[in-house]
Amino acid sequence: MAGLALEGIKVVELATMVAGPYCAKMLADMGADVIKVEPPEGDPARQAGPFPKSGPHPERSALFLYNNTSKRGVTLNLDVAEGLDVLKRLIKWADVLIDSLPFHSLKNLGLNWEVISELNPSLVYTVITPYGMTGPRAGVKGDELTLIHAGSLGNLLPTRAESIDRPPIKPGGHYVGYHCGLSAALATVGAALGKYKTGKGRMVDVSLQDTIVTLMRPNLAGNRYQRSNWSRVPDRPPAMGRMETKDGYIVIGTPEDHHFKAFRELMGNPEWIAGKDWETLAYRTHHLMDVRTKLDDWMRQQSKHDIHHSAAKMGIAVGPINLAPEVVSDEQFVYRKYFIDVEHPEAGKYRYAGWPYIMSATPARVSRPAPLLGQHSQEVFCNELGYSSEEFEQLKRAGAI
Amino acid sequence: MENNPPPLKGIRVADFCWVYAGPYTGMLLGCLGAEVIKVEGHRRTDLLRHSVMWPLADPAPTPVPPNEGMAYNSLNMSKKSLTLDLSKPEGVAVAKKLVAISDIVTDNMRAGSMARMGMGYDELRKIKSDIIVLSLSSRGQGGPQKDYAGYATIHQAIGGGAYINGYPDGAPCHTMGDVDLMNSNTAAFAIVAALYHRERTGEGQFIDCSQVQGVTSLIGELMLGYEMNGQIPERMGNAHPQYAPHNVYKCWGVDRWLALEVHSDEEFVLLARVIGQPGLAEDARFANMAARKKNEAELDRIIEEWTRERDRDWMADEFCQAGLAAAPSRNGEDIYADPHLRERGAFVTVDHPDWGNLELVGNPWKMSGEEVQLQRAPLLGEHNDYVLRELLGLSDAEIADLREQDIIM
Repeated sequence: MAGLALEGIKVVELATMVAGPYCAKMLADMGADVIKVEPPEGDPARQAGPFPKSGPHPERSALFLYNNTSKRGVTLNLDVAEGLDVLKRLIKWADVLIDSLPFHSLKNLGLNWEVISELNPSLVYTVITPYGMTGPRAGVKGDELTLIHAGSLGNLLPTRAESIDRPPIKPGGHYVGYHCGLSAALATVGAALGKYKTGKGRMVDVSLQDTIVTLMRPNLAGNRYQRSNWSRVPDRPPAMGRMETKDGYIVIGTPEDHHFKAFRELMGNPEWIAGKDWETLAYRTHHLMDVRTKLDDWMRQQSKHDIHHSAAKMGIAVGPINLAPEVVSDEQFVYRKYFIDVEHPEAGKYRYAGWPYIMSATPARVSRPAPLLGQHSQEVFCNELGYSSEEFEQLKRAGAI
Repeated sequence: MENNPPPLKGIRVADFCWVYAGPYTGMLLGCLGAEVIKVEGHRRTDLLRHSVMWPLADPAPTPVPPNEGMAYNSLNMSKKSLTLDLSKPEGVAVAKKLVAISDIVTDNMRAGSMARMGMGYDELRKIKSDIIVLSLSSRGQGGPQKDYAGYATIHQAIGGGAYINGYPDGAPCHTMGDVDLMNSNTAAFAIVAALYHRERTGEGQFIDCSQVQGVTSLIGELMLGYEMNGQIPERMGNAHPQYAPHNVYKCWGVDRWLALEVHSDEEFVLLARVIGQPGLAEDARFANMAARKKNEAELDRIIEEWTRERDRDWMADEFCQAGLAAAPSRNGEDIYADPHLRERGAFVTVDHPDWGNLELVGNPWKMSGEEVQLQRAPLLGEHNDYVLRELLGLSDAEIADLREQDIIM
């Protein structure tokens, strides 16, 4: 019988854009009861897009729709006393509070960790900030571009660069935000499990910079102790890298001898890489660059998807650099039913990206589309927090909602 | 906060993983307090034990002495090492004994490999009915491509993540091992969620995780955007669809760069002041976001004229103190030297018999309560005795017999 892994965990999300919302989405799609608290003007992700052809609309932003599935949404103005009171009642109600507001926002409202943990001693309080809650750079602003470089991944890109004189770059999309959300989700669900077992809460300090530095841990150690240099290294196909085909790009890896021999066979055993020398790693290490042009010429005759299948069937690690439509129609994605239909009252019905994990007892699911702005304010405040309908009207008049 | 033990204290993981994504999954569970037993054949060890990472001057791993590989030492911290030859039934029998006293089993072999050794989920749940088993494979279990091999960069390519990385006028590019470590995070999240479910219901389960799809879930808004409007997301370098300035600027010195991002008109006023040209904020070409985006190339030229003659770290401080988002494009040395990371305790020092003191990146987050102190990654077979004798209760004669048969080292 299918259950929900995180059923019973009550989460309050005070977060915008990607990191905090994606963290909470991961919990929500696994069954946690997540209440997203937005300011009256809404999460800025509602303005960010991408949008449908009809143009920008706060209920049709793909960034907002994707990152806020399975949540209920309320609005709250924390600048008025009545709004802050509601937040305190939400904090008492919750098992988990996810906060990615600007540094010290809650503290400046009188809600530092000591006060919060007094309100709810068993609360798991996850705080997401650019640089963390401690250290000389705590409180400094930062987002996707600055943090990918602050954490040292940006400095290495583009890999397989053609020139060292051009600036290092960021990866596409919201790389930092999603990865930080993922890290925060793991720490948060861990802390929530601890709370379930012991009744004790804790504070979890997750930063965008720490997330990137952590992802770079092997590179950093290799750089320091074995002097491996990673910054924008040129192409060395076909050891482990991008190659161009006649209809797009692939990534191919032939690190081991048997991989290389299989790749050579696939190329029809050309005489310029014949001989035993080429079958040893050390020789290839020093000489692959010498035949790069010939390798590139051969690969440019191939088609991206044909070479994927023919090389993979010979045991070579290879994959096409897929564009969005190719991902959607990929046979393996179809087989695993990765994309799921979600119907939203304002945006309509579209296929959404699902989850990489298929769990036999507790499959993830989308229980409801992203909330409309303030959609569940009355339901949450009256049903979960016990406000009467008169009190709810009062909150409205006070400008709290 | 006192007497608040790490959340996974008392949980045991039998870790049959190697290289990047699988081993780091186990290490992350260790960061939450679990005891992780890494199982390897002593004649077929985790190849990272003796590899330096790409790219040194080399496109492929160069052997270094066993236990010295930096990726190995970075991704297996706090684990215990047991050697077992799993190609022999005697080795599998010991592995099953370990599973019987474990809560979690992880592998990142090709789909179906564990089952062929008699250690598929259906077998393992007979040994321990509430076991949680994670298989972290390239394309997932089952399906037309289940036997295809892959690495981090390949997963990023297939999943749609690589196509959008790069200069707008250049080729797409993959990133690196970070893709594997991201998938470790994803897999560990699913495992801990499954643990939560087991805690409540007593039910274990099988988790089938595809590393290719781990990539796609982190570009969800781009996939949805394509579904909505049919436009294929393209490479943008350092640019942003709306914000300007939003770029990485050349600084004084060799290969030194500063990242700078401005998200509002208020921030642009501050930037114009810092670079000594307050008038730019009133200049019609730059007075609002849309105008700045339209005249971005000219704006970048003006900013870089200022940055290229100044020190990177000095400028980063100036911008940050003014309330802006700026950062040096740090390399490895910069990270280790960063006073902020040092004061925050981002690194831990462990004692390695070959290396002496090794300073490595520590826990991915700070958690109140009893802290998990990360330990050195284990030497090959370092804990054979502990696992076989103390945990599994094997006698001296039985252990000698396993050694005799070359099942353990």
